[in-house]
Amino acid sequence: MTSVAERSLAGIRRFRTRLFLAMMVVIVVLMSAGIYFVQRRAEADARVDFQGDFALELAAFARLQDLRNSAVEDRSRTLARNPRIHAALEDNALDLLYPSARDELRDVMAESNPGGAATAGLHAIFYRFLDKHGAVLPPTSPDAGALRPEEEAQLAQKGVPQTMQTGYLTRHGPDGDLIVDEMIAVPIHSTETNEVIAALVLGLKPVETIGHGGTSGMKSGILVNGHLTLPSFDRAAEKQIAHEVMTDLARSPKHQPTLRVKIAGAPHFLFYKRLNPESNYAPAYEVCVYPLSKLAARQRHLRIQILGAGGVLLLGGFLVSHALAWRLARPVEELAVVSEENLAQRQRAEAELQTTTEELQRTARFSADASHQLKSPITVLRAGLDSLLARDGFPREVYEEISELIHQTFRLTSVVEDLLLLSRMDAGKLRLSLKSVDLTHLVEEWIDDLRALPEGANLRVETDLPASLEIAGEAKFTALIVQNLLDNARKYNHPGGIIRVKARADKGQVELRVANTGRGIPPEAQPYIFERFHRGTVHLDVPGHGLGLNLARELARLHGGELRLLRSDQQWTEFSVLFLKAPPMPHSAMAKS
Amino acid sequence: MKRRGTIAILALFGQWPLPIHGQATVEGQVALPKTHPALVANERYEIVSEAGILKTDPPRAVVYLEGHFPAPKNLSTRQITQKDLTFRPNLLPIQRGTRVEFPNEDETYHNIFSYSPAKRFDLGRYPPEESPTPSVVFDHVGLVTLRCDIHEHMRALVLVLDTPYFTISDWQGNYRLPNLPAGRFVLKAWVSSKVTLGHPVELTSGEVRHVNLP
Repeated sequence: MTSVAERSLAGIRRFRTRLFLAMMVVIVVLMSAGIYFVQRRAEADARVDFQGDFALELAAFARLQDLRNSAVEDRSRTLARNPRIHAALEDNALDLLYPSARDELRDVMAESNPGGAATAGLHAIFYRFLDKHGAVLPPTSPDAGALRPEEEAQLAQKGVPQTMQTGYLTRHGPDGDLIVDEMIAVPIHSTETNEVIAALVLGLKPVETIGHGGTSGMKSGILVNGHLTLPSFDRAAEKQIAHEVMTDLARSPKHQPTLRVKIAGAPHFLFYKRLNPESNYAPAYEVCVYPLSKLAARQRHLRIQILGAGGVLLLGGFLVSHALAWRLARPVEELAVVSEENLAQRQRAEAELQTTTEELQRTARFSADASHQLKSPITVLRAGLDSLLARDGFPREVYEEISELIHQTFRLTSVVEDLLLLSRMDAGKLRLSLKSVDLTHLVEEWIDDLRALPEGANLRVETDLPASLEIAGEAKFTALIVQNLLDNARKYNHPGGIIRVKARADKGQVELRVANTGRGIPPEAQPYIFERFHRGTVHLDVPGHGLGLNLARELARLHGGELRLLRSDQQWTEFSVLFLKAPPMPHSAMAKS
Repeated sequence: MKRRGTIAILALFGQWPLPIHGQATVEGQVALPKTHPALVANERYEIVSEAGILKTDPPRAVVYLEGHFPAPKNLSTRQITQKDLTFRPNLLPIQRGTRVEFPNEDETYHNIFSYSPAKRFDLGRYPPEESPTPSVVFDHVGLVTLRCDIHEHMRALVLVLDTPYFTISDWQGNYRLPNLPAGRFVLKAWVSSKVTLGHPVELTSGEVRHVNLP
């Protein structure tokens, strides 16, 4: 029984676990997908944001550069129109070119400006003239700003530029650092022919707008001639970023190139854009690097949010699954409990049945054995007694005693036969061959017999019987029932008592009532009168062996009827026995099995 | 019209002191370069100009007779006036050794200088009515570009020649060079700093020769 309960409980537990696991899997999958998509979305958003930032910064940068350039251009044009410079260039007086320019450019050069640092973007750090072939005219004055030959070579162009050109110059600072300077080449037109006869190249500090402000932590630098200056990064990182950009440039020209690179192990977005499109100078790129730490933080925040939501969902799912499992499992549990109870009852009943059957079999066997073993000695005993009684020469008292002993053997035989009959019934081996039996006749026969008995004269028998009352029975056994009841009525009567016998047919049944006067059965004994070997303790003087009522009831039941005690008090003791009416066709009934 | 008149008078002055040997005359037309719109925007100066644009004079040619002539004596002083922020005239042919005065008739300072190899000089800044009038003697043959250090657009050319026989064409390139000696010469036409055309001529007295250059 426990194992069944445990099995069903375990089943419910399994069901609950499976349900929970399934929900967990679903939630985990949903959560993972959510995290994946949200992260991708966040990255895409960040990319767009950064791209926007970059575009804005670049726009700001370009605006400032334009402003600066237009200022520089204006200045340069003025310089290019300068009469002395024109005179030097046009009137074949190159020796006077740089000395003439010196005075004119004095206010442009940064060194001569005390507040140069503040307006560095507008002040030149060097200047050179290009001749009409684009070659650098060597300066004759140190005021033009010092440049190494290889640096000066970067200023030259193939042919003098016809329009203003922006270029970037890489050079090494005093401490070996790579410096990028911007150079603006302005063409100088002849006043006579309006042709471009020369160019003025002004070297300036690049406009610095990017990388200083902003909350994005963006860093920017200029990439030119394969060299990148990104002040906040080390040499190796600069080289790596330069390499990335060059590789990307070599791959395919894109409108808005965005790269995702790892710099010193940290992911960064990388944007770049050419600073000097349509320039004869070497292409230079503004390179912007955005650390993705903010994005990572954002992604982490999102992840935590999703995980939190997932956790809540999981908890909710757990509770729901629990509730659901409980709801689903309740009928199962109830069913299990009911089936357990049923099983227990059945098992109990089976066990009891088994015990009863065994007892019955034991009893039946015992009765059969006892009857058999007893019958023979009784017969031998009676035969012996009979021969003794037949012998002469004994005193009269001896004959009386022998006669009494013979009577006892008859009683013994009667007990043994009753037992035999009972044991046959117990064993289910008694078959009744039901026929029509006249109950009235049986009663009348017994009354006739009673008249023959000595106490019969003291008893008054009142009968209320139909002339003929056919019941279904086997005459021998039906007579036993009737005799039993009537004998009891006689035995437990008092002298001059009354025996009242009534019979009535009703529907399919016939009821026979036998009542007698005399001492009643004590109420405490009444429940046991149908048990075997039970005799009322008050009737010790009455002959009997305590099997009669039991036998009568068993036989009545075999007849399809019942034997009951209706009443028993100081006046009357009344039994009722029910029989089935005789059927039109004879049939047989099996004893209980 | 006034300017043209002045130029014509100056051109006549250029011929006046020449000795009359023969009476040969050369006339014709010089192909002038197409005018380029050397427009100077009026950004810095309050220049009296048309629609804010200062127009330079269209090019003209200087036609002269190249040969060996005796050194001149008592060369008269010529003038290039600075008026309305321009040089007038802006092209002046002179014989070597001529003194040119530069009166300032504007109400502002001017600073005439030249980096030209034929004559480098710098008169420095001087106000109007500067007295004596700043002047320079051009003693080397060649083209001298005059500029004003203050007014970048101002530009004038002084063509220093080694001949007393020269004239300046009109804007169509027509010229007339009278009172020329007879003999073998080279007729030259200076068109620009880079272009000087030449044509050998043999003149006879009383002849009127028609030469188109080129």
